[in-house]
Amino acid sequence: MSFEESVRRVEEIVTALETDELPLERALALFEEGVACLRDASAELVRAEAAVEVLRQRADGVIETTELRA
Amino acid sequence: MTRSRRRSRAEPGVHEAPELFETPPRATGVAEVPGRRAAPPGDPGATPSSAISVGTLTAVTRDVLEGSFPPLWVRGEVVSFKQHRNGHWYFTLKDQEAQIRCVAWATERRRIIAAPDEGMAVVVYGNLTMYAARGDVQLRVFAMEGVGDGLWRKAFEQTRAILGAEGLLAVERKRPLPPFPRCVAVVTSADGAALHDIVAVVRRRCPMTRVVVAHATVQGDGAPRSLRGALARVARWGCADVVIVGRGGGSREDLWAFNDEGVARAVAAMPVPVIAAVGHELDVSLCDLVADFRAATPSAAAEAAVPLASDMARMVRRWQRSLCEAAEAQMTGARRRLTTAAEVVATAAARFTDDRRRALAAHGGRLQALSPLATLGRGFAMVSDEHGAAVTAGARIAPGDLLTLRFRDAQAQARVERVAPVSPAVPEDGT
Repeated sequence: MSFEESVRRVEEIVTALETDELPLERALALFEEGVACLRDASAELVRAEAAVEVLRQRADGVIETTELRA
Repeated sequence: MTRSRRRSRAEPGVHEAPELFETPPRATGVAEVPGRRAAPPGDPGATPSSAISVGTLTAVTRDVLEGSFPPLWVRGEVVSFKQHRNGHWYFTLKDQEAQIRCVAWATERRRIIAAPDEGMAVVVYGNLTMYAARGDVQLRVFAMEGVGDGLWRKAFEQTRAILGAEGLLAVERKRPLPPFPRCVAVVTSADGAALHDIVAVVRRRCPMTRVVVAHATVQGDGAPRSLRGALARVARWGCADVVIVGRGGGSREDLWAFNDEGVARAVAAMPVPVIAAVGHELDVSLCDLVADFRAATPSAAAEAAVPLASDMARMVRRWQRSLCEAAEAQMTGARRRLTTAAEVVATAAARFTDDRRRALAAHGGRLQALSPLATLGRGFAMVSDEHGAAVTAGARIAPGDLLTLRFRDAQAQARVERVAPVSPAVPEDGT
């Protein structure tokens, strides 16, 4: 899941938890899912800096990326 | 430049006469052409009898003209401009003193960005030649540039009108930029300053964002084609969340590829939002106008493309807090429900017990009332025969029978002496 999707899912979960009285089991399941989403989102933030890549089209038409030589 | 301008301003007065009276050059005899000697006798055209044809003359003239002048830049004003239906342009280039016919073949003027307006000051590049059918000397034009920005502006406005008529510049077409792109594609020169600036800004703001360059030649004849190819590559690749297309500052000519109709169309057709950053603040290209977002510079484009990682981290923390609070509220609710439920159960249980207790007491009373022992208390005795069976009627006993009399607190044995019936008014069970 992308950062955006993770955050959006957490938003949905928080809204659900805030608006409805849910069965305890359901509330706990949602909370756990929310924690997992936030963990994913945080993981996105600490992803290693990527090298700049170049987009090329190979002779056979396939498009590939290669690292840009500085 | 300044010198020629000064001279052209001085010229009108000096050369008024020839324009007004169209006087021929100094009349000269055939034999006295200044600087030249007449053709030797015997050569074609030397005598009336060896006169050459007009066709020969113009053919020779053309050869001489074309052989003597390299292609030249000539400046003047465009008048009598006509575009033939086959696409060729015919016009006259003139200034205060003179004029010359010009032709620009459709196939030879690829580098002219737009047709000039009547009266527009231009410089044209072409070969001096002769149009034999008319005997006109004319300039065969390959290239033309407006003096100032006239021609550029005209070309720009023409293309803008075409794109505008198709709705490609409409504000409603603009898509919002993705708030957290994972991959930014950059369509620019791989060794240009623009790419360097963009990478630097992305690294600073959001270092984990992937930056992929689709290299394009950004100026010169091949630039439009190259830019279209690079945009198509990004579109086909399909992994970019947002595209930056642009280049650093340059002359109007350097930036011109970004005003190419095909390039602008390619930008408009991109499947993901496009940020255009062409040149500097004041340069507006057609790519800027069709893009979803216009940035003043490549650095500004990068700022618009990626969020600050620290803002993202703050966002995650905020949601963490919200999630915990919401979950806490759910737990509180559940706890409250549990307490309420327990109270309800306890109350119900208590009521149930009370009800039972009351019922028991009531039943107990009635039981008491019905109990034969209670009757005994009121002075009656219970009679049973030798077998322990209750004697409820006198008909069943006979004199000599042994009966047991049970009192409230004791029992006694008694022998029947006599049995006599009583009036039926006495209830049968009145033992």
